[in-house]
Amino acid sequence: MAEKNQKLNRRAFVGDALRVAGAVGIVGTTAALAVRKKPSGKLVWQLDPNKCIACGNCATYCVLDESAVKCVHSFAMCGYCDLCTGYFRPEPISLDSGAENQLCPTGAIRRAFIEDPYYEYTIDQQLCIGCGKCVKGCSAFGNGSLYLQVQQDRCKNCNECAIAAACPSQAFCRVPLENPYLLKTQEQQG
Amino acid sequence: MLFSGRRDGNHEEKTMTQPTRFSAATLLGGAVVALAIVIGVIAWLSIDPSGEQGSGLPESFDYSLESYQKIDPALIHYVQKTTIPLDMHEPRAVAVGLGDRIFAAGDKAIHIFDSDGKKLEHIALEQEPYCLAVAGVERLAADTRLYVGMKDHVEVYDGKGRRLRVWNRPSARAVLTSIAVTDMDVFVADAGSPVVWRYDFDGNVLGRIGRRDREREIPGFIVPSPYFDLAMAPDGLLRVVNPGMHRIEAYTVDGHLELFWGRPGMGIETFCGCCNPANIAILDDGRVVTAEKGIPRVKVYRATGEFESVVVGPETLARHSSATVETRDEHRLCPVDLAVDRRSRILVLDSAADCVRVYEHQ
Repeated sequence: MAEKNQKLNRRAFVGDALRVAGAVGIVGTTAALAVRKKPSGKLVWQLDPNKCIACGNCATYCVLDESAVKCVHSFAMCGYCDLCTGYFRPEPISLDSGAENQLCPTGAIRRAFIEDPYYEYTIDQQLCIGCGKCVKGCSAFGNGSLYLQVQQDRCKNCNECAIAAACPSQAFCRVPLENPYLLKTQEQQG
Repeated sequence: MLFSGRRDGNHEEKTMTQPTRFSAATLLGGAVVALAIVIGVIAWLSIDPSGEQGSGLPESFDYSLESYQKIDPALIHYVQKTTIPLDMHEPRAVAVGLGDRIFAAGDKAIHIFDSDGKKLEHIALEQEPYCLAVAGVERLAADTRLYVGMKDHVEVYDGKGRRLRVWNRPSARAVLTSIAVTDMDVFVADAGSPVVWRYDFDGNVLGRIGRRDREREIPGFIVPSPYFDLAMAPDGLLRVVNPGMHRIEAYTVDGHLELFWGRPGMGIETFCGCCNPANIAILDDGRVVTAEKGIPRVKVYRATGEFESVVVGPETLARHSSATVETRDEHRLCPVDLAVDRRSRILVLDSAADCVRVYEHQ
């Protein structure tokens, strides 16, 4: 009798365990699906670097006093050159951070020594106005690792973007809010 | 006379009122409105929403290379004799082989032309070629060997286009950009590593050249972009470009750095931009032909490194560029590839124009 009761208890235990597991699975799956972000369908403005010609209009046509377009840097594509043509003007007096040597009119690029002979270049977005001069310098001789992008934390997402209307190469497009940047990759470099 | 009516009980009383005069406040208000309209019209006319008037930024924001692209005609000592159309989407490499035959690689194929540019053969490849070298004894087609550098390994073909060998890739990061073949060895430039691999003819790695070595005073190659070329000179020293250092280095086959020359600068006698020269070729007398990117130009230096002359400049090589400074990756000009033949003709692979330009000394 005791043995029979023990079997029944084991059977009940296994059955209960399976029911509990099934319930947990259903509840967990439902919760995961509910938490997962669904595409909001909202679109934001972004600049396609494969169409941008760095004309300078981004700096002056934005409705904001300070343009929402800034230069960004693809470090994976950068050569970390001592003589960076995105940082230095074509004939620098010397390869240092003196203002007279820098290409950027607002001094928005920082140059930091990494190890001989490599230097790292970073953009100070507080100073960058999105004129694209460094983009031209980098693209002329280098790998094109400097390029312009609309910063979504600054952009007002105007219904009709003034920069988009003024862009001579139609480089502005609408992209999903969930994927708001059109980034360059090393694979694109070929 | 105006009349105003007012109901008062059972009858209306009509009274006569004086005509209204414009008060000073009304006139002032009207003037303000008119002024605002005028200002609005002027502003509307002055705003250029299309961007056609430009950014309006001062000159300090301009970037132009036009002044550096002009070349003194007195420095150009070569004249273009012919162009060989390739009919390729993406030509990548040019080499000269037996009997001054011209080999052009691209679009998963090698096109073979005679020295006058007449197309002879077409060899299909399984992958996209990155670089090419031709070796063999003249008039013995069976001994012809085509060393084709794919992205990360070398394949060897005979003169009939049959693949004979596939070598192992030398490293996981290999990006092969140039091949030079001598009587004893095969040298392969690897921009991904970046070193020069020395092989035997069976594809076995015999050594590495150019790896950073402080004891031997070898700084190492700085190759920021996949343009890394080499060529064997008549003096037996392997010439290799070091683009990040703006110089050409000469190594023994054992990897000793014997000499180097070159310096950065925008002038015609220097190497422009961040990383040049991109490609080289060696003439029979040891003079070095260089090709640069950014300001596309081909120049000739003496074997000792002194600038001698210009072969071709941006007026020709950048003719197909839509902008002085191109920022769109797909539109940027690739540096031209170079080859020389026994008649000291300089062959320039112009991928933008999809042709090989053949230059002779004036």
